[in-house]
Amino acid sequence: MSVEVEVDQSDLAEMVEQVWESYLDPEGVSPLVQTYDEDQPSEVHSSVSITGSWTGHVLYASSLAAARRAAAAFLAMELEEVSEEDVSDTLGELANIVGGQVKAMLPPGAQLSLPQVVLAPEASARFPNTQRISGVYGLWEGEPVSISMWQSSSDNKEEGA
Amino acid sequence: MTPMRAMVIDDSRAMRMILKRIVTKLNFEAVEAGDGKEAMDLLADMTAVPELALIDWNMPNMNGLEFVTKVRADPRLREMTLVMVTTESEQSQIVRALAAGAHEYVIKPFTEGAMIEKLALLGLVPTGANS
Repeated sequence: MSVEVEVDQSDLAEMVEQVWESYLDPEGVSPLVQTYDEDQPSEVHSSVSITGSWTGHVLYASSLAAARRAAAAFLAMELEEVSEEDVSDTLGELANIVGGQVKAMLPPGAQLSLPQVVLAPEASARFPNTQRISGVYGLWEGEPVSISMWQSSSDNKEEGA
Repeated sequence: MTPMRAMVIDDSRAMRMILKRIVTKLNFEAVEAGDGKEAMDLLADMTAVPELALIDWNMPNMNGLEFVTKVRADPRLREMTLVMVTTESEQSQIVRALAAGAHEYVIKPFTEGAMIEKLALLGLVPTGANS
């Protein structure tokens, strides 16, 4: 089964804004400033997969410095206290939350996987037969952060059938 | 006066830390569990049942819905207030959780203020605790 994806870039940007408002920037002083640069670098990433009414992945990627800052904000810690485990847990939860928001916009029947975290650049992510269909790319206090959606190409083929 | 106790059940350590921070600020004693099964095991060993449980939905071993169903089937645990805290936001899922016995439903992402308001609505913290 396949559906037309109705989650566009502005929807994704709104989801990201909610995450910043809730956890990463509750004071509203350091928002993610969009650069619209799809090719910005990353050093770490996390993802969740969605199956069912839509098949694909939601990926969160950033520099290590941005990931450490996210963990510090998320866990209310000082930056120097943040461990690798804190970074990993935070990246996983961020992918899970954004993935959950994406899933909420899909027709019923979609399932969300548990998050996967890789302390390596987004370029190392292997999603066979997928294409990026949407993304938010920006700088957070000068550090690159991106959130993107990848649709399974088998889903695309079915759509066209 | 004995402080109230809250059980925070989430497979994400990061989310447990956030929830623990909120309930501790509200003077709850927090107990953590990484999934529904671990929470049931902890509850089996407790003489005093926590007043509140904050429960994720998607967890390994025993998910949040299964946990709610088990708690509601156990007369010893009937006084616990159960709040689902989850990314599951489909109407049908919310209805399932409430029908199974959850008292409230909080969708991630949530702000600290929104969580405190929910707990105030449930009468677990004074109204205005957020201000």
